[in-house]
Amino acid sequence: MADESACVVPQFCAKRTLVLGCGNLLFGDDGFGPAVIEYLEGNYLIPEDVCVMDVGTGVRNLLFTLALDPTLPQKIVIVDAVDRGMRPGEIFELPVENLPPEKTDDFSLHQVPSSNLARDLVDAGIEVHVVVCQIDAIPQSVKPGLSRALMDAVPRMCSLIVSRFFNQD
Amino acid sequence: MTKTLVIQPVSRIEGHAKVTIQLDEAGNVQDTRVNVIELRGFEKFCVGRPVEEMPRIVTRICGVCPWSHHLASSKACDAVFGVEPPPTGRKLRELCNSVAYMEEHILHFFILAGADFVMGPDADPATRNIIGIIGKYPDVATRVVKVRHMCAKMLEVLAGKAIHPDASVPGGFSKPLLAPERDQLRKMADECLELAKFAIDFAKKNIFPQYLDVVKSLGVIETGFLGTVKDDGALDLYDGKLRLMSKDGTFADFPYDKYTDYISEHIEPWSYLKFPYDKRAGKFSMELDSPNGIYRTNTLARINVCDFIDTPLAQAELEEFRNNFGRPAQLTLLYHWARLIELLYNAENAIRLLDDPKITNFETRRKVEPRAAHGIGCVEAPRGTLIHDYTTDANGILTDVNLIVGTTHNNAPINMSVKQAAKAVIKDGRYDQGILNRVEMAIRAYDPCLSCATHKFDGTLAVRIDIYNHDGRLIDSMAN
Repeated sequence: MADESACVVPQFCAKRTLVLGCGNLLFGDDGFGPAVIEYLEGNYLIPEDVCVMDVGTGVRNLLFTLALDPTLPQKIVIVDAVDRGMRPGEIFELPVENLPPEKTDDFSLHQVPSSNLARDLVDAGIEVHVVVCQIDAIPQSVKPGLSRALMDAVPRMCSLIVSRFFNQD
Repeated sequence: MTKTLVIQPVSRIEGHAKVTIQLDEAGNVQDTRVNVIELRGFEKFCVGRPVEEMPRIVTRICGVCPWSHHLASSKACDAVFGVEPPPTGRKLRELCNSVAYMEEHILHFFILAGADFVMGPDADPATRNIIGIIGKYPDVATRVVKVRHMCAKMLEVLAGKAIHPDASVPGGFSKPLLAPERDQLRKMADECLELAKFAIDFAKKNIFPQYLDVVKSLGVIETGFLGTVKDDGALDLYDGKLRLMSKDGTFADFPYDKYTDYISEHIEPWSYLKFPYDKRAGKFSMELDSPNGIYRTNTLARINVCDFIDTPLAQAELEEFRNNFGRPAQLTLLYHWARLIELLYNAENAIRLLDDPKITNFETRRKVEPRAAHGIGCVEAPRGTLIHDYTTDANGILTDVNLIVGTTHNNAPINMSVKQAAKAVIKDGRYDQGILNRVEMAIRAYDPCLSCATHKFDGTLAVRIDIYNHDGRLIDSMAN
């Protein structure tokens, strides 16, 4: 019984590549990650060995599960929105070792001190990429909807993800 | 000189909060406040939307406990539409609730709060976390992770996806459970039960006895309790009547749609979050020596208010618990013990539901029609009683929305427990990392979901302690 059950893991634990769209779509440009996932699912054929997920604000919980999982994916792509003072809509990659403090919190399960799960995943041999988009604004109260600059960036981010991370050996 | 210690935010709980400890001239605690910031604008955002969208929207409030919001919202929609889900739809909802509970309680006990006990409250913060637990008890950690995988998988099978569920709908549940799926889940539920039995046994042998002195002293306050019970008084986490128990153990039962007859909300100028209290008390007071109207929710509250648990293993644990601590048990850190009893109950309840032949029936939802109505949905979320209150016009469009989340109910008790803990462990201006962590432990016992009760996007570090003098000048700063 135990052996049979041990083979049963959630879908996201059984794929070679994970693309995780992070952020809260209730708060303006913070919903960029989920918007990218929605666009990918609606406009691209997702390869069999790839799982794309809108993880909303639950990424820490999921990364914790992954970090301690015996069957690790080979590659994790984290799609998010950040404020690094660049031009709104600009897309760039953040080195895992150089994540800004607010994103370090996001990737640290429930703010576990000194434990950055994104780095733990790298240490475990997983290729982790954090691809982000510069926000225009995140409202202080609930207000869904991306700014024009980020709406325009969604297809560009999808194109980048597909060309860089899909169908890669 | 007056000092102010600021612990911001509290590490290892969901979301951000700021703990301010005011010291007097002798260096003893004069006052404490736990500040949180509310989720602004959500109710307003919902007004004007079709009510049937709510069960899907509310899962976006927070990624930590989406199932509780999903189900409370579905029940509020049922009430607005005036429908009762078919028995199978109700059972599937309750099954999802039990599985989500297991995932949450395992996370909290072993990962969030458990580290305080497993590694010790005075341990180096670098090891006082899941990484430390893995190093100390690798077999336990492996087992925990495996069962959490199973819970995620079970929710995926039941609802189609593990994150942001949308399977529960007004009038029932959208996805029937197939017999082969039921068989698959049943095996996993057995393993969940084995872990639940192991967890409470492990804790009773290795953790609780070692820290009984801490349990008996840290964050201890005397309050009433709020929870949900079945008509016969049995523990229930999905549906039933609310029971509001006074600190002397007497109680009043009432339907959850009458909550405003029993619960009022107090406002403090220094907090964005409201302070619900027992209306019958007449007034609100958080004075440690003479609290008034204060009640608690979450695990300990539920274990206190129920007359019994209708699953055998959890009932045996409840009897042992009451033999040790009485009813109602007031020691704040007993929330952890109560959490493990609930873990056991949910594993047994999941098996009971999966063994019910009706669980695979295909009639899982009823048709709904919009109408002008007022509907209230209530479930016991892992973090406390969760109330969704909706009003619609004749077209089913929301005209009013009110949410009371579990952590909000516990706002006053959390503040009181922090004050009690701070007074007990900070003496004559002496404090260190271990002492401050004990203050945090008092908060963590409540398993507060501050992302849910609140939202804050400034991304500050895990814990920062600033010390100010009476002039408001920063004279010391600590961080972990």
